[in-house]
Amino acid sequence: MAESIIKRYYDTLGEGKLLATNCLDCEGYTFPPTTACEYCGSTDLEFIHLSGKGKLLFLSHGVAPPPNARFVDIAPYAYGHILLEEGVYVQGIVTGVKPEPEVLQEIYDRGPALVEPDIIELQGLKILAFKMV
Amino acid sequence: MRNKLRDGVSILGVGCSQFGDLLETPEIKGLSLQELTNQAVQEALADAGVDPLEIDAVFIGNAMVHSSQLPGTYSQLAKWLGMQFKSGVHFEAQCSTTNVGAAMAAMAIASGVYGKVLVIGFEATRTRAKELSPYEREPISTDQAWAWTDLAVNQAYSVPQGYEIFSTYNGLVALGYCRKYGISIEDYDRGMMEICRSRRLHGSMTPKAILQETLEDEAARLGFNDLKEFWESRYNPFVAWPSRVRNVVSVADGASAMVLGRSDEARSYSVSPVELLGFGIVYGDLPWYGSDPTVWPIDRMAWQRAYQMSGISPRDLDYIHTHDCSNICGICNLEIAGYIPEGKSLYYAMDGRMGYDADRPVSTHGGRHAFGHAWAASAGSDTYEAVLQMRGEAGKRQIKPWPETAAIHTHGYAMISTVLILRRC
Ligand SMILES: [Zn+2]
Repeated sequence: MAESIIKRYYDTLGEGKLLATNCLDCEGYTFPPTTACEYCGSTDLEFIHLSGKGKLLFLSHGVAPPPNARFVDIAPYAYGHILLEEGVYVQGIVTGVKPEPEVLQEIYDRGPALVEPDIIELQGLKILAFKMV
Repeated sequence: MRNKLRDGVSILGVGCSQFGDLLETPEIKGLSLQELTNQAVQEALADAGVDPLEIDAVFIGNAMVHSSQLPGTYSQLAKWLGMQFKSGVHFEAQCSTTNVGAAMAAMAIASGVYGKVLVIGFEATRTRAKELSPYEREPISTDQAWAWTDLAVNQAYSVPQGYEIFSTYNGLVALGYCRKYGISIEDYDRGMMEICRSRRLHGSMTPKAILQETLEDEAARLGFNDLKEFWESRYNPFVAWPSRVRNVVSVADGASAMVLGRSDEARSYSVSPVELLGFGIVYGDLPWYGSDPTVWPIDRMAWQRAYQMSGISPRDLDYIHTHDCSNICGICNLEIAGYIPEGKSLYYAMDGRMGYDADRPVSTHGGRHAFGHAWAASAGSDTYEAVLQMRGEAGKRQIKPWPETAAIHTHGYAMISTVLILRRC
């Protein structure tokens, strides 16, 4: 039986690691991983792990009830735009932050903050979230 | 990429239904989607003065099959539209559908394959088919509508890990804009109120808009004398701080249509044909932006291709609509297009410069918030408005002098950036 890259990504998250691909032609990272390099289309790829450490550039939030039923227990949640130390941009839930204007304003005023992965489980799926360090 | 149309292509006629709710809005209440779509098609055919038998091909789009339950729209609507035995296809580019269809039609016509093409988009975002009934409909909840809509967004990774439109498409972009241009959150909110006020004024002058009440009238109806107090009240919560609910889309049921043909034959069909000078279409998966949320690569590339194909520059534009499902993304595109200087849109809004009667008119039908948003039909409604303005048929909201050159930009989830450049012949 073949294994989907998607399953492998989520299984790897369960081990606390972030699965990506490194392109052997252009050396670009594709995260999360797919079947082709997002920069040059090459399929000559190797799997690697990213640290997940990075900078939270901006932090906003969403609505409740959420569009996706998986998040019904945690919505509304803070959601951020993040630059990982490997140069990859990613967006995700930021835990431990109340999505209220005063809180978000303070974070915005302070400027970019360091974050690291906070892998959480919702309705049986491990997902990549972040927390401020 | 050659990026040229070999022959000239023009929009011969346009049509658009009332945007509203098939269960509530008097003009369309009780209609089926087949009949709603036919309203737009018959208007476009009559506007063009083109007989149904003259149409060579039909490109028909619908994005959310869950609510329409009409896949294979070409044949399912064929007899309703008087369009049996045509070439054609069902296609979708989500909220860019109808304008991507116009570009596809232009390529088909300029290549010499078809003479006249009918482009159609229709959508029900407020109502769905009721169980097994062939004609009854029922409301869709807002979160259900977004869940279906988000099927067009990265299903492997983004949606399962917490993506939602309001933060990614609005709040985070807004913060990027404020940081880049040193605009305070208070000024952002004030500018956004003025953008909304302008769109709602335009909606109040547009008989087919879903929201025809001005922002001032709504505030008064809800007991507020002071507009800013109303804007900051519990009636206008943040959907994604610092952006509020009145800076986002109003969902609608609706349909739009246009007839395109060769420019060298256009004059015999229309007193004032509008040429489709050029277009740019570029898509990309998430993330849509990197270090600068205000300038997305897909938008920059789409505008660049559209300007190159049409041979015009931003200075030539007399009218613009940019996709304002989220007002901040609309603003970013006004600035990428070069219609308003970078970082100045909120100040232009505060100075009243985006109105139909001002120097930089924007979205004179009310945009996605006031005119309403019926996914696959909306781009066609934007083009409809541009064509009316260019022909001097926009009634109370007519831009003077009539615009000669216009641009329409749309974002189709998730995400296809589409720009059309139109010029009055
Ligand atoms: Zn590569």
